[in-house]
Amino acid sequence: MLVFIIRRLLWLPLVLLVVSFITYGLGFYGPGDPVEILLGQRTNPEVVERIRHEKGLDRPFIVQYGDFVWNALQGEFGESYKYRGQAVNELIAEKVWVSSQLGFVALVIAVVLGIPLGLLAAFKHGTWADTAVVGATLIFISVPSFIVAPILLWTLVSSLHLLPSAGWNGIFDLRLVMPALVMGIPPVAVITRQTRAAVLEVVAQDYVRTARSKGLYERVVVLRHILRNALIPVFTLIGLSMGGLVEGAFITETIFGIPGIGRLGFESITSRDYPVIMALTLLVATTYVLASLAVDIGYTFLDPRVRTD
Amino acid sequence: MMLWRRFASNRFALVCMIVIVLGLYVTGIFAPLLSPYVPTAQNLDAVAQGPSIAHWLGTDELGRDLLSRIIWGARTAAIVSIVAVSLSTIIGVVLGALSGYLGGWFDTLIMRVSDILFAFPSLLFVIFIAATVKPSAVRFVEQMEIAWGMRGLARSGIIDYFVVFTALSVIAWPGMARLIRGQVLSVKRMEYVAAAESIGASTYRIIFRHVLPNCLSPVLVAVSMGLGGAVMSESVLSYLGVGIQPPNASWGAMIWENSGEWRLHPHLIFIPGAVVAIVIFCFNFIGDGLNDALNPRNR
Amino acid sequence: MANHRRLAIALVLVLVVAWSASFGCIFKSSGKRPVSDLGTSRQGALTIPGADPPTLDPALAQDATSANYIVEIFSGLVTLNRKLEIEGDIAEKWDVSKDGKTYTFHLRSGAKFHDGKEVKAQDFKFSLERAVDPKLESVVADTYLGDIVGARDVLKGEAKQIRGVKVVDDRTLEITIDAPKAYFLAKLTYPTAFVVDEANVKKRNWTDTPNGTGPYKLKQWKKGEQILLERNADYYKGAPKLEKVNFLLSGGSSITMYENGEIDVSGVGLNDIERITDPTNPLNKELITSPSLDVFYIGFNTKRAPFDDPKVRQAFNHAVDKQKIADVVLKGMQTKADGILPPGMPGHNASLKGLGYDPDKARSLIAQSKYKDVANLPPIVLSIEGAGTNPPRTTTAIVEMWKQNLGVDVRIEQVEWATYLNDLKKHRFQMFEVGWIADYPDPQDFLDILFHSGSLDNNSDYSNPEVDSLLETARTEADVDKRLKLYQQAEQLIVNDAPWVPLFFTKSYLLVKPYVEGFVPAPMVIPFFKDVSLRSR
Repeated sequence: MLVFIIRRLLWLPLVLLVVSFITYGLGFYGPGDPVEILLGQRTNPEVVERIRHEKGLDRPFIVQYGDFVWNALQGEFGESYKYRGQAVNELIAEKVWVSSQLGFVALVIAVVLGIPLGLLAAFKHGTWADTAVVGATLIFISVPSFIVAPILLWTLVSSLHLLPSAGWNGIFDLRLVMPALVMGIPPVAVITRQTRAAVLEVVAQDYVRTARSKGLYERVVVLRHILRNALIPVFTLIGLSMGGLVEGAFITETIFGIPGIGRLGFESITSRDYPVIMALTLLVATTYVLASLAVDIGYTFLDPRVRTD
Repeated sequence: MMLWRRFASNRFALVCMIVIVLGLYVTGIFAPLLSPYVPTAQNLDAVAQGPSIAHWLGTDELGRDLLSRIIWGARTAAIVSIVAVSLSTIIGVVLGALSGYLGGWFDTLIMRVSDILFAFPSLLFVIFIAATVKPSAVRFVEQMEIAWGMRGLARSGIIDYFVVFTALSVIAWPGMARLIRGQVLSVKRMEYVAAAESIGASTYRIIFRHVLPNCLSPVLVAVSMGLGGAVMSESVLSYLGVGIQPPNASWGAMIWENSGEWRLHPHLIFIPGAVVAIVIFCFNFIGDGLNDALNPRNR
Repeated sequence: MANHRRLAIALVLVLVVAWSASFGCIFKSSGKRPVSDLGTSRQGALTIPGADPPTLDPALAQDATSANYIVEIFSGLVTLNRKLEIEGDIAEKWDVSKDGKTYTFHLRSGAKFHDGKEVKAQDFKFSLERAVDPKLESVVADTYLGDIVGARDVLKGEAKQIRGVKVVDDRTLEITIDAPKAYFLAKLTYPTAFVVDEANVKKRNWTDTPNGTGPYKLKQWKKGEQILLERNADYYKGAPKLEKVNFLLSGGSSITMYENGEIDVSGVGLNDIERITDPTNPLNKELITSPSLDVFYIGFNTKRAPFDDPKVRQAFNHAVDKQKIADVVLKGMQTKADGILPPGMPGHNASLKGLGYDPDKARSLIAQSKYKDVANLPPIVLSIEGAGTNPPRTTTAIVEMWKQNLGVDVRIEQVEWATYLNDLKKHRFQMFEVGWIADYPDPQDFLDILFHSGSLDNNSDYSNPEVDSLLETARTEADVDKRLKLYQQAEQLIVNDAPWVPLFFTKSYLLVKPYVEGFVPAPMVIPFFKDVSLRSR
């Protein structure tokens, strides 16, 4: 087990190296001169060259990349091009905290609604309730967030005046409701469907039939045998969705004015703030690798059939 | 064709199939014939009109016919979904099958590469590619055109499509590869494969003649879902402004362009929005139907 | 120094507002009480939408967003008043030597930093030398302080102190410049010359807790969320009436927030303008419009094919129906431009003859040009500022007009802002769309800077000896009327030569709650909130 974890953790640096190399390369050869971005309009060639030299941006690609890796190893990602004097680490740390809170609430919504709905559909398999739940989840997955968000805005804010329209004030604030719904609803559908499928799969297994035929209480059968086994793939899904923090947040954070990493990511790309892009990419990749590791470790505890070696 | 009969018994799935085939692909192919107007033709004397006999779905803020733009948007969605999914399926199936069948270092390599691609923040990456690679690509193509005395390629927007295809398939193939690899691993142990090996059939023959056909069904489900996913991704990218660019029509871009018209002209955003949602819904429903047909136990 | 950056930000704001204001409400908010009137936290505070400033360091600021906050928190020797006249700030008065090169500033007594420490002449010397310190990498220092004797030596790292800045005593500062320049004082109103506290700036991340001298103190800056300014009760010109200014930085739909009672001021975008300008709408009474001194245009590179032929440029002018775009696409929010000088600018010529919409003439001009037919034109690219997202509607409409009226396909290319400015200067574009905002109300700021063949900002690479000589004469002409006539003559010549398609003169549209008093939009960045007050609700 320990060997497995160590081996997977050793894998992480390689992933990060490849990811950073590709991203750095795209940024390096892409349009936009970092010095020009930094200096804005009042450039004169003399200043540009001086600052280019001082920042070491006149060195060859591989040297600059090596430099980047060396600094990144020490947890140093430099200064943002767009927000001068602002360390990338600090900039991102604040936004990550906001996005994590939002993502967490969305996840809670997804789990709290998704698992019971999935169970309902599975246990009422073949009835109208099943059909309704499955149909509803399909609709949830099919409507893009940039449609859902305006519909919510229109109904809850403009017509009913129930909620403030935008902004961020922590998770105990009404402003959280709409973005959390927009981000939480598609995963509700995914989790519901996964739960339903898994339960149906498990119910048909021999050990459940055996348990039933042993005359165990239905409750025991459901909790011990069905749920425990059925929820394993659901946990996988939840774990892996952590990695999607930035992606899901792009549109939602922009529409609802939330200072998170989704918005920062989009802004940094459009303003070619390369240090921020690099740090964000690596952050997401790390999260993903760690989350999938956590999922794999979780598996071995939940399901003794899964072996790690 | 047991599968088809079981699938067809699900009436609604059949309806969805018809909607997709006619509404998306046939419309897409015959867009130039079907659309009543040129989708980019502006008429500033008739902007933001509601539905009428001249314009069945009304016009947008620049007086372009909404129906024509929806039809041409179907063409975009059809092309993007077919090409992106074909690319990712071909790459995924070939690499996944080889990886599962051959095992060893090749398997390790493919799985590690797919691990890395999974770890990449995909949407961030696609936007980044669109923002960095595309402008250079467009300029490059234009230089080539000038050098070779051609014209029109750079401004046809073909590079937008290319970027979207590449981005979507790069993201999607590892999923397909893993699916196939898993299937191949389980099929490999079957007796008919051993039998084929024992009579000295070549590796590739075994893979393509014996192993792959037996993995077909899950691929079919994945392709159906994948087509819906590609339509969704394309509209998200175009909504964010990094996908298919005007003057080419895209549903996502239409929604973005008109996102300001909620109050006065809601049809400008509800119609393309509903179209996107319906198409994706149908793909997902077909996927569901296929899945049920494949695993009748779950029905 | 004309300011493209300010323009960019204005453009971005318009786009953001237009887009975000789009989710406006379907039902009028009247009669229903907004839920989110945030109660006690709003008392005495003006809440308005804002944007994160790239920096709060006066010496580094080069953009309007940063300057907007900085002029409230910091201050300098001199400032601009509401009429955009220069007046004393920390300097109570000043004398200019006979040769016009030495300025002696007398600092007022009682000017203090926010922590209570008195501002002395030494602080100014320190601040100016800090601004030109090459280690600070300020890109504006050279522009705004480069006239001071010895400042450039420090910038080049050849000296530690600026020779031209002398502390006479605690309250007297002497600044010597290299030549008599009437605009020198105006440069000192820019944040680069503001005073900072030496002990304060030595701290790490000092701009999170700046110790300034301005009418407001920075109470809180949560990046991406909120900037809270609190009044400086000790302000040397008297404590401001308005207690707090609360900038919400998180974006979102500002007009919805305004109608929902979450903010007190909001811009109005294209999507809401029809509703707001409707006199039966209660919001109509809260609308304030103010003209901006600017012009938006499409420029041609007059040295590159096919725009090296004036006939082609004129044809492209005649093929654009600006009136229709202004009325339909811009919904009457902006006025079409025939000439270059905006209304409100001295010398604006109401009777100027523009190149009006005339598709037939446009086609015949192409036929008369050396290209004879559109088929012989090389591929044409219109470069606009942008990160590769959807181009603005006006641009799409113009390109379509060229296609319909001339049969020319123009590709829109987007270039990111920094590169765009650089490429503009280097004349790398064939055709470009951009705008120009006045820095001072004088036609020289438009015509001489943008069209004189020797000007660095002549992005069209335009040259006409007749125009050059008119502009040169105008520079020194003392008679105001004659001088303006010269500019008008030059303007007409330029319009006829068509190095541009002038497009629009703009106005800004703001909604301001009735209990907010004194909120008058200013055409430039000046200390603003000390004149605003809130009536009790």
